[in-house]
Amino acid sequence: MATNDKLNELRMRKEKASMGGGAEKISKQHSQGKLTARERLEKLFDDGTFVEIDAFVETRSIEFDMQKKKVAGDGVVTGYGNVDGRLVFATAQDFTVIGGSLGEMHAKKITKVMDMAVKMGAPFISINDSGGARIEEGIDALSGFGDIFFRNTLASGVIPQISVIMGPCAGGAVYSPAITDFVFMVENTSQMFITGPQVIKAVTGEDVTFEQLGGAETHNSISGVAHFKCANEDECIENIKKLISYLPDNNLSDPPVYQNNDDMNRVAVELDEIIPDGSNKPYDMLDIITRIVDNGDFFEIQKHYAKNIIIGFARLNGSTVGIIANQPNVMAGSLDVNSSDKAARFVRFCDCFNIPIVTFTDVPGYLPGVEQEHSGIIRHGAKLLYAFSEATVPKVNIIVRKAYGGAYIAMNSKHLGADMVFAWPTAEIAVMGPDGAANIIFRKEIASADDPIAARNEKIEEYREKFSNPYVAAARGYVDDVIEPATTRPRLINALDMLASKRETRPTKKHGNIPL
Amino acid sequence: MKKFLIKVNGNQYEVEVEEVRDGSVASQSVQTATAAAAPPVAPAAPAPAPAAQAPTSAPKAAAPEPKVSSEVPAGAKTITAPMPGTILGVNVNTGDVVKKGQVLLILEAMKMENEIVAPNDGKIASINVSKGASVNAGDVLLSMI
Repeated sequence: MATNDKLNELRMRKEKASMGGGAEKISKQHSQGKLTARERLEKLFDDGTFVEIDAFVETRSIEFDMQKKKVAGDGVVTGYGNVDGRLVFATAQDFTVIGGSLGEMHAKKITKVMDMAVKMGAPFISINDSGGARIEEGIDALSGFGDIFFRNTLASGVIPQISVIMGPCAGGAVYSPAITDFVFMVENTSQMFITGPQVIKAVTGEDVTFEQLGGAETHNSISGVAHFKCANEDECIENIKKLISYLPDNNLSDPPVYQNNDDMNRVAVELDEIIPDGSNKPYDMLDIITRIVDNGDFFEIQKHYAKNIIIGFARLNGSTVGIIANQPNVMAGSLDVNSSDKAARFVRFCDCFNIPIVTFTDVPGYLPGVEQEHSGIIRHGAKLLYAFSEATVPKVNIIVRKAYGGAYIAMNSKHLGADMVFAWPTAEIAVMGPDGAANIIFRKEIASADDPIAARNEKIEEYREKFSNPYVAAARGYVDDVIEPATTRPRLINALDMLASKRETRPTKKHGNIPL
Repeated sequence: MKKFLIKVNGNQYEVEVEEVRDGSVASQSVQTATAAAAPPVAPAAPAPAPAAQAPTSAPKAAAPEPKVSSEVPAGAKTITAPMPGTILGVNVNTGDVVKKGQVLLILEAMKMENEIVAPNDGKIASINVSKGASVNAGDVLLSMI
């Protein structure tokens, strides 16, 4: 073969590999509203920056005629490139090649890129669109999964890991996204489940559709497995890029700082009026958050799950902050099993990646009920206390209204190591609400009074006057300052600026034992 | 619906009671406080009365009391209580057309007036609780189609 022919052979092989499973399969993929693996990567990475590696990797399995079915690339496209100018590693399963099924070499391609991402200290994005393990390859496929999960775990807290579900992700395959930091799903075209509808029907007799069982809606609203629900793949990719813009490359760097055109001394007068007069009236906590952060831009995470707590990223004076806030509009903003889980994981993510934590507190307590108790609110609630205590990033808390009992402690209180705690004049920081407290403390007086109901109301008012305010806590230094709500933004930015050089250590240990 | 006039602690209440014969559902009652009555204390006030915080506003004389049903029409989507509490007020009637985010009823829990809003545009198919009712998490409050 002449040299020129060899060059032509290379080009032909590259061309063939880039077609994946062929034009017909690509067409079918499109008809289902899905892009191909390569198309997704093209959209994700800055133009011309994506470098593909291992395009020629093939399966070496010889069972079940695999050598006749094999395709170059083995069903996954892997490589690296720039996302908004920053190095990112990515893998995208190719559903057009043997259903995107994971075989030994397919998995080796993924683990190679994961290892590179850790070595280079850059985020890793994994796009899932696969029928699952390639059954023909048997235990070699399983071994592939194991290798991936192991690396997800070792990389956890070292580089940001993002999973994107853009097709089926079934069986053991779901554990990779579960271990990663954020899971994106696309409505109607992505599903995640361990056992599918057919197996469930056979074993338990339950009837359920793919979407109901593990679609984007289910995992975003019910199970809390996913963090984002996107209407289509384009929106999904835009959101991935937005998320990455808040994050550092790895745990040894800081998040990028952006040029800020929102005056850091901006006073927001509406905040002075935003808390209703009646302390039992709800309001939308997002109204407060958006008036404080740069340009009102708040990137909410897990928006549809445990809505009684809000988590997400924003910027203050150009720098990323992680925000956790109670939502008085939903379940009175109380803490419960799901909201504790949601917030605790987010706190720990921020702590992994040097992202300061800002909390807005308006919590009446933990949600009472047999259901909560039997679901283990004790150990789930403890997660939030543990997460805040463990975190050594700058922690700032603004108590906006209620902060009662154990929930007051759990929400980034001074006692758990918050660096700065501010309170608004509307703050009510106490061991319990006036009604409950009056019943206990003044029980005898009320019982022996001529008019118990009037006496009770009087005692409730007395308690409210004395204790449902921020000044008792401020008198102890549990609150560093009581501030005018309109000045919250400048006070926050000033505090975070002061805290920027914070260094805090914890006793040396392999790792703690967070209640799970 | 049978109507009774009941006097409690000197206050008079007009009560409608419906008997359900198939035995599967308890009968519901709708209270209409007569206009002259003082703000009603919650009937059989429990000892550690969280209801002491119940609003003292008189029921809207103009708006008709929502008709309470114990059933949910087939195909309707139920809206359940997110947590245990007391119904402070029902803002809609069966058949009302509502928009997403519209406040349907107020549930008092955790010392807060929690607004239960419509999850999407639609029509109220049934209202399954009345003002003053105590509900548990998961109880059906109303349904929409």
